[in-house]
Amino acid sequence: MQGWSLNSLSATSGTDDFATTFANAVHGGLDKVLGQSGRAAVLTHMKMTSNLPDPAEFHKKLLTLFGKEGTLSLERAIVKDLVTRLKWALDLLSIDGSFDFNTAMLKIKKGMKA
Amino acid sequence: MTTRESPGLKPLVQVDSQGGIAGSGADDLAETRIAAVLGLKQFTQRPVRTLLVKGLAGTGKTTIALEILKAAGKGKGAYISSRVPKELLEMQIPAMQKTLQNQEFYDIRLEDATTALDFVIQLTGPKKVRTIVFDSWDGLAKELDHKERLRAEKTMMALANNSGAQLVFVSEEPGATTIDYLVDGILELVRVEEQDRAVREFIIHKLRGTKIPQHKYLFTLLEGKFTFFGPYAIPDYSKVDKFVRRPDIDGSYSFGSGALDRLFGGIIPGSTLAIEYDENVPYPALRTIELPPIINFLSMGRSAILLPLPGANDERTNSILTKTVGKSVVSDRLRILNVVRTSDLETTEMLKNVTPNEIHEMVTRETTRLREKSKDKSVLLVKSVSALENLFASDLDSLLEVTSQEIITLAQSHDAHILFLAKDSPIRSRILSMSSSYAKLFVRDGTVLMFGVKPHTGIYVLQHLEDPTSPSLTQMV
Repeated sequence: MQGWSLNSLSATSGTDDFATTFANAVHGGLDKVLGQSGRAAVLTHMKMTSNLPDPAEFHKKLLTLFGKEGTLSLERAIVKDLVTRLKWALDLLSIDGSFDFNTAMLKIKKGMKA
Repeated sequence: MTTRESPGLKPLVQVDSQGGIAGSGADDLAETRIAAVLGLKQFTQRPVRTLLVKGLAGTGKTTIALEILKAAGKGKGAYISSRVPKELLEMQIPAMQKTLQNQEFYDIRLEDATTALDFVIQLTGPKKVRTIVFDSWDGLAKELDHKERLRAEKTMMALANNSGAQLVFVSEEPGATTIDYLVDGILELVRVEEQDRAVREFIIHKLRGTKIPQHKYLFTLLEGKFTFFGPYAIPDYSKVDKFVRRPDIDGSYSFGSGALDRLFGGIIPGSTLAIEYDENVPYPALRTIELPPIINFLSMGRSAILLPLPGANDERTNSILTKTVGKSVVSDRLRILNVVRTSDLETTEMLKNVTPNEIHEMVTRETTRLREKSKDKSVLLVKSVSALENLFASDLDSLLEVTSQEIITLAQSHDAHILFLAKDSPIRSRILSMSSSYAKLFVRDGTVLMFGVKPHTGIYVLQHLEDPTSPSLTQMV
């Protein structure tokens, strides 16, 4: 997945592509914050080692474990990982505006399909 | 014997009057004393949610972690062990068997960090567990690289913050590690050598949001329980009651205190006991060694002479003695001779020109007089060398000469001699070499400690747990 561009994604766009990219970004983002053992423990606990659910459900599960602030940090890390992989600008992560994981994911998904 | 107790505080482990270990109050101890000192009230009420207990092997980390679990967990605690299985832990710390049985126990000796973190997530997730002890975290953390360790620790802090659970990390790494910066509180347990004897001390390095009135405290693991000692508390003398006399022990006079009798085995007739004290030992602590033998001698129908310590309150001494043995006994068979008070000397002229020999003659005359009133003709002489040193500062040689003569004369009699001398006494070593027994009192972390040099004894914390006039001695182990 390393080095994927928006164009290359567009060429093979689809739900499966997004799911794979999302899964990799979740791993990458969680690794950066929780470390490999933390990430593995969280995903095992969420029963998400192989299949990740949709972002909304994932968000809820994170909220249960880490609360609002913790979840925000983790989701920002995931989105950052994702947009870095896609070589997008990091506008989505502006600390000035309110950050919403689901909205961010929808934007990315839409962008990938475009 | 009672201490001046703060509301809600219960007596600590104590050596009772009959020689057993009584009234540990361990159940309440965990609930109140530890909480009060460590700010565990804050630990249970949120501000301090993560605590690191560190120290080298054998310093008592597991015992204190279990005490905290007992206090804060309130039956909803979990113990994650990466070192020893439950059965072994129960065997090693039998006093904590019940605590271990009442909490969830997870043996993760063969697990990795991921599994350990998963345990924490599972325990904190449903908010069913209030307190989790991780003994030890560094055992697992050492398998991780620096970054990974820090991230794993941050994960646990975040989980604890969200769930409201408290995490107690036990660590054998005495130096600062990554977790030191993340936890709300750090407690270090150390074993220090004091006068060739080991004492345990805990140091509160950090306790966020909590006022720390004192950073270091002494503690003992007597009976496998964590018992800490606050600063020495002056006893409440209003609780002084009638004294129950203690009979002689195999030909030795009783000290009038079960704790002292057990420590020294009584006072052998004709012997001299020297009590050396540091300048910071509070006077009431010395009085608790000074008065019980006198009270007991008087209660047994014998006589006594007291040359009080400098700074002694004669009125208080008289009041205690009167309350315990009665006014008539005090006036009939006790002589308090305050050498620095003019009225106690035979003439006012005497104070100006008095010599050690004259004091000695005066004591001898009093001894002879009181001997006649003593049931078995024996007299106890309790004498402050410090008071005499102050009086004869320019003639210490004569004082030493007279004191030596007294010790030698007394050895031929059935009398008993207790000498109090300050640690910096210029004639200390000469007197100690002539004494049959020798004990020392000193203060560490505000706690008064006592031990015997001759005979060699363990080290004990001196408190007043029952009777304000007698000491309670708790062994440091």
